[in-house]
Amino acid sequence: MPAVSPAHKPRRKANKGDIDKLRAPAFPLAAFLWPARTSLSQWEVLPLVLMVVGLFRWAAGLWGYSGFQRPPMFGDYEAQRHWMELTTHLPISQWYFHDLEWWGLDYPPLTAYHSWVLGKIGSVINPDWFALVSSRGSHDPMLKIFMRATVIVSEYLVFIPAVTVFVRRFSRLSDISIWTSNLALVAILMQPSLILIDHVHFQYNTVMLGFVVASMSSMLAERYMWAAVLFVAALGFKQMALYYAFSVFSYLLGRCITTGINPTRLIGIALVTIVSFGVLVLPLALGALYDKQRGIDPSPELKVQGATPLIANYISPDHFYYPIFEQLGQMVHRVFPFARGLFEDKVANFWCALNTVIKLRNYPVHLLQKAALVATLASILPPNIILFLRPRKSALPPAFAATAWGFFLFSWQVHEKSVLLPLMPMTLLLAGKHGMSGEVRAWVGFANLLGAWTMFPLLHRVDLRVPYAVFTLLWAYLLGLPPTSWSAPFQEGQSQVVQWGTALLQGTFYATMAAWHVVEAFVEPPPGKPDLWVVANVGVGAAGFFLCYLWCIWRLLRETGFLSTGAKAKTKTQ
Amino acid sequence: MAESYPTLTQCALVAAAFKVLLFPAYKSTDFEVHRNWLAITNSLPLSQWYHDKTSEWTLDYPPFFAYFEWLLAHVARLVDPAMVRVYNLGYDSWETVYFQRFSVIITELLLVYALQMFVDSSPLQSKRAAQVAALSVFLSPGLLIIDHIHFQYNGFMYGILVASLVLARYKSTLLQSGLVFGALLCFKHIYLYLAPAYFVFLLRAYCLSARSVFRIKLLNCVKLGLGLGGIFAAAFAPFALMGQIPQLLSRLFPFSRGLCHAYWAPNVWALYSLADRVLIHFAPKLGLPLKTEALNSVTRGLVGDTAFAVLPEVTPRVCFALTLLFQILPLIKLFRRPTWDNFIGAVTLCGYASFLFGWHVHEKAILLVIIPFSLIALRDRRHLGAFRPLIVAGYISLFPLLFTPAEFPIKTIYTVFWLVLFLISLDRMAPASNQPRVFLLDRFSTLYIAVSIPLIAYTSLFHQVIFGKRLEFLPLMFTSSYTAIGVVGSWVGYMVVYYTC
Repeated sequence: MPAVSPAHKPRRKANKGDIDKLRAPAFPLAAFLWPARTSLSQWEVLPLVLMVVGLFRWAAGLWGYSGFQRPPMFGDYEAQRHWMELTTHLPISQWYFHDLEWWGLDYPPLTAYHSWVLGKIGSVINPDWFALVSSRGSHDPMLKIFMRATVIVSEYLVFIPAVTVFVRRFSRLSDISIWTSNLALVAILMQPSLILIDHVHFQYNTVMLGFVVASMSSMLAERYMWAAVLFVAALGFKQMALYYAFSVFSYLLGRCITTGINPTRLIGIALVTIVSFGVLVLPLALGALYDKQRGIDPSPELKVQGATPLIANYISPDHFYYPIFEQLGQMVHRVFPFARGLFEDKVANFWCALNTVIKLRNYPVHLLQKAALVATLASILPPNIILFLRPRKSALPPAFAATAWGFFLFSWQVHEKSVLLPLMPMTLLLAGKHGMSGEVRAWVGFANLLGAWTMFPLLHRVDLRVPYAVFTLLWAYLLGLPPTSWSAPFQEGQSQVVQWGTALLQGTFYATMAAWHVVEAFVEPPPGKPDLWVVANVGVGAAGFFLCYLWCIWRLLRETGFLSTGAKAKTKTQ
Repeated sequence: MAESYPTLTQCALVAAAFKVLLFPAYKSTDFEVHRNWLAITNSLPLSQWYHDKTSEWTLDYPPFFAYFEWLLAHVARLVDPAMVRVYNLGYDSWETVYFQRFSVIITELLLVYALQMFVDSSPLQSKRAAQVAALSVFLSPGLLIIDHIHFQYNGFMYGILVASLVLARYKSTLLQSGLVFGALLCFKHIYLYLAPAYFVFLLRAYCLSARSVFRIKLLNCVKLGLGLGGIFAAAFAPFALMGQIPQLLSRLFPFSRGLCHAYWAPNVWALYSLADRVLIHFAPKLGLPLKTEALNSVTRGLVGDTAFAVLPEVTPRVCFALTLLFQILPLIKLFRRPTWDNFIGAVTLCGYASFLFGWHVHEKAILLVIIPFSLIALRDRRHLGAFRPLIVAGYISLFPLLFTPAEFPIKTIYTVFWLVLFLISLDRMAPASNQPRVFLLDRFSTLYIAVSIPLIAYTSLFHQVIFGKRLEFLPLMFTSSYTAIGVVGSWVGYMVVYYTC
């Protein structure tokens, strides 16, 4: 893999853009790793980095989680805890049917299995934590420690190894020194919104994102079947991974067709994908059959409304395979709730922003659904067509990011936490060519800070302003971004106009964000419009994210050679 | 040589971010102690400060610290008026927590400033080494555990100490060094342990002529005397005028406490108690008399005082005599050759002597040894050889201070992180010594450090898994004995280095 083909362009000797050639660190993060430039070996730096990011994660976990002491429903923390409770106590066939009113299981099977494992371990330590029904809304401080630990352990088992390997492979691809790639690694692992959502607010997004990164990493290593398996794992953990599905599909298809037609690879990938989906739902299917045989009804409570009657129209309940279809149908029905509205809450996407101008409530739902479908397709098709036509390794992060931005901005049923999905591949760009130098750092930083900012209302609701401020400011400081430094856009061989343009454009947004914080903190919203500040946040956020989407597309065009940038126009397709 | 990175300021910023995140962490009773002092100084007249007994946590620091709390209380009152009410015992609203924790972070900036002074005052060829040493002090797990989790204000007081030590580096600032140290004594009297070294050094280097010990520099003596007199007057005169000095002193020096603290600080007496514990089992065979009342009263190092079953009792007088003896030995050398390096060495050894032989020593006092030592640890590899077991032992010995599960990963991972980082970088920085190695100090310290890994694993994890809640004293005893061996070993090693260089 690392072998450079003879036709590869010769490396430039003095690469002025590479920051490790500079005399002094360009931003504080570089200063912190400065002593490691010459002497320290890779195996001394990596453990230290992993310890530090772990410490920050654990310290973040000392703060409150979503729904802490907020009856009646509590929050995401209770949902995750409840799934551990129900998976460890109920027969597998009842998992997707159990008391749907109280945080019924609505994530794909891998999350359920994950909850089962964690629930089993937790029950060994203290059975009360996951006692059926009686443990609901438990706020045992020891339980909190256990739950926080499970997030960190899951992350260190999936996300962190995946990112470490990805960063190595991706930077080797563009001849970037190990030292610079370590900078990128720290920057990626300290992403504020990721820590805030997973370790403070409480969720297991890093597991799903980790599988996606691992899948991308396998694509870099040209192990396409593994890429497929890992992506199925991501989908099986959290359906949100669908944001990336188009890019995975176009890249793999492109690799089978546009870079030389390779039918065996195509069939292999297809088979492996089907088999992994099969393996994913196998425990559920077998469990359904087994429980049927034992005479256990999947929904002993009231007959739940759901997919069951729908399926009964097609398959007679007397068939031996009926329980399997009933089970999988219910699972799919729970995982994809098409019946919900266009947007749940105030989210910084296009529809929510548009809603402030035109009241979307006045339009029929099916029309809105269609509009969302068309807009989403229009936004995701260009990046995926490009990726399909020129499936280059270096095009992976921008294509994934652009597609995910498209989904986030225009699709149906978006949650503000979903901004993590476009942010992840976009942040991976830091490990790429010129990743840590001005332009990329400025844009990736902008997206991340804006992303964290749009989540402020969510964190604010549960008194998490302090960790929000600490993690965003720390990250901005480390990477030399506003409000701590305004120099990032000016550090590259770009034209003056572009530099100033970027700086002014982003500067306007940063100024708005800062002003918004001041207003939000000190000015009461006018009577009759209690949500005004949140709406303003949403509008600014959507506009900024749209810029990020455009920048990702532009970046993708450049990486794939559709847009020539000076002398680098002719790069050989690998 | 350009400035070396990362700078102290950069580290201070990132460390502050981490410390802010620790706001909701466990806090010991010291948090309430300091809140109560805010309340006392804010709402009671000066005459009541050292008399008030509303809370069991009476004011027992010298007056400057009380004035410091009085100043803080002015801000505290604006943040949350309920915080500064004397009867509001155990009050810990989030404003109180934020305010007190934040004040620790802010006042600690004095330490950053002092350490920067230290780096700037170092000669050019050892600037980078000084920078590493300064960072190791600022990022010390001891300060993180004691100040930012357990809760105390050591950071800024060690800042004053470092400033005073650095000022002693040049002839022109000797007087200031002495005065700053005098002021430090009025903040916290634990620094009295280091005073003998200051006394001898200032006497020889400032008050007596460099050429002959019999020529007294009268003007210098007067300056120092008046200066110190002024500082002590500022601290104690208000109380002396009210005739409260005996009461004040009884608060500062409560002699009613036992030899060992609740948990054995890793000193000679910890080894002594360990020997006693072991001898209990052999006493019948050896024909030694057993004191039965001690057998029952021994609380196995968990709570209360220790009484010895076989070995003779230790009196405060013995402790005092031993401390003084081992303080005087290095001071003789200092008196004969009053260089700055010898002075720091003597301060370190005074800290060692009081920590190892003192009465009722708290494990937190280990910083009194580590921080002065850090300033000279990078002189050469021989110094570093003695320093390494000290930092390992000293910081591991602080683990029992935090016993709550949520803080467990923080103290362990942070300390391991710090040890890995600084053992590597100190090793890179220390120049070779121009004297041959005297004995196998290096080998000993490497072996010693290696043992810490299974020890941490056992005390923190495997003991729980194997024994559950039983034999709770065992991990404490292991930690205490292991760290005591390390501190004593590094002390012996450093004594050798001190006398041979």
